[in-house]
Amino acid sequence: MMKTRATTNNRVLSSFRDPSGFLFHRDGLLYRQVNQGYAADYEKLISSGLYESLTKSGRLVPHREVELVPEERTAAYKVIQPEVVRFISYPYEWSFSQLKEAALATLSIQKRAIQRDMSLKDASAYNIQVHNGRMTLIDTLSFESYREGEPWVAYRQFCQHFLAPLALMAWCDIRLGQLSRIHIDGVPLDLASRLLPRATFLNPGLASHIHLHARAQRDFAQANVQEARRGRKLSREALLNILQSLKTTVQKLSWKPAGTEWAEYYSNTNYQDEAFRHKAELVGSWLASLKPGLSWDLGANNGYFSRIAAQGQGTYVVAADIDPAAVEANYLQCRKDKQQNILPLVLDLTNPSPAIGWENRERDAFLARGEPDAVLALALIHHLAISNNLPLERIAAWLAVITKTLIIEFIPKTDSQVEKLLRNRPDIFPDYSREGFERAFTKHFRIEKCAAIHDSERILFLLKRV
Amino acid sequence: MLIFIALYLDPGSGSFLLQLLIAGLAGAGIAIGAQWTRIKKLFSKKGKNVQDENDEDESDDE
Repeated sequence: MMKTRATTNNRVLSSFRDPSGFLFHRDGLLYRQVNQGYAADYEKLISSGLYESLTKSGRLVPHREVELVPEERTAAYKVIQPEVVRFISYPYEWSFSQLKEAALATLSIQKRAIQRDMSLKDASAYNIQVHNGRMTLIDTLSFESYREGEPWVAYRQFCQHFLAPLALMAWCDIRLGQLSRIHIDGVPLDLASRLLPRATFLNPGLASHIHLHARAQRDFAQANVQEARRGRKLSREALLNILQSLKTTVQKLSWKPAGTEWAEYYSNTNYQDEAFRHKAELVGSWLASLKPGLSWDLGANNGYFSRIAAQGQGTYVVAADIDPAAVEANYLQCRKDKQQNILPLVLDLTNPSPAIGWENRERDAFLARGEPDAVLALALIHHLAISNNLPLERIAAWLAVITKTLIIEFIPKTDSQVEKLLRNRPDIFPDYSREGFERAFTKHFRIEKCAAIHDSERILFLLKRV
Repeated sequence: MLIFIALYLDPGSGSFLLQLLIAGLAGAGIAIGAQWTRIKKLFSKKGKNVQDENDEDESDDE
């Protein structure tokens, strides 16, 4: 079970905007209260067959109805218990393909809803999570009855949460995915429109759903919609055409990493084959005896060692790296292998995702989203200590807050990777040595195992928090 | 009027009206796209493109 997310009186704090119901925790389990006002839509979701169709294809999180005293009795219709998502992640932590698939999943869900006379009443990227290896809608209460003739209520939100960041990542710079972290309700379309190159005006999808959309938002901001539409309706076919147009627009967006620093790390590393093999063997055998449920692989690169960690029965690996290209490569590999228990995420460890939103409690900080049973920090310490000037003592203290069990690799100054980092700067790191490392880490951990990696000067440690 | 009674999400007046405006365009775009695909198929020896997994989703329903 996940560590409890930010809650007040058991209510999950991200769950407050929609009056249809809310999430709450009780006795360590997660439930969703369905309110009476949503009863008709909830029953229609089930009776229309939409629930079955979407859960069967892994697009909607399955739940069961439970007999439980509701959290807020007066409003309650039912209490449901959704399947638990192993690790909650947010759009600004996803690689390009993850966000793209979440976008296509949302459109697919909406299309199938329309076919069954329902419609998504929101299209928030936060409602999509990776569950059993699929981009899955986790908000069961996102559907409402489709009203023939009416436009899609969540069109604006879809464009802001998905299309705008994807277009910016594909056309401008992959790092613009981080705009979603600042703008919690998605990237404002006027901003996206200003940042996108002029060439995108020639792309019919982007021209209409971003540029014209931004313009319409400006021009009709004060409009009385009922007067302005003059009784015009949007037929079901026209709505499906808009969905198809959004789908084509998203599908055509692509991003190929080029020139990123570490994406090809494994192919040009100084590792001799034997060193690599030995490190993999050590990590594998240590993890096999530890049997962690949830592991975090920090600085996971393209996930080579995450795959070793993921071999354990029932284990789940969060594979975080700062390089969007490495995370993209990792994700595409997972998809190819149908690997369901690795979640690649983009994360800057020197500035991990903070808690954001209303009261700073709407979206949890990365470090508050679960307690890993083990942390892997392989080929990481030199980036933190040398590239980022972080004292070893602070790194050790931080890792001790996160985990009881740590597998960490120490890479000495004589290693070519560290030499590279020090080539053009004065060596202001007198404590960066094996002795200094052990001194710093044994303040918080005891050394359980320690092994020199063959054919290298690197040392692998298994540490347990004291 | 039905609209805006039961909505919890503000659809945005511009976003709402834009859909009425572009509906025709999207339809025309799709029709042209479909013809274009047919033309391309005539001249292409390649087989059917690999469907993405969301297409697979939709075929579940059909």
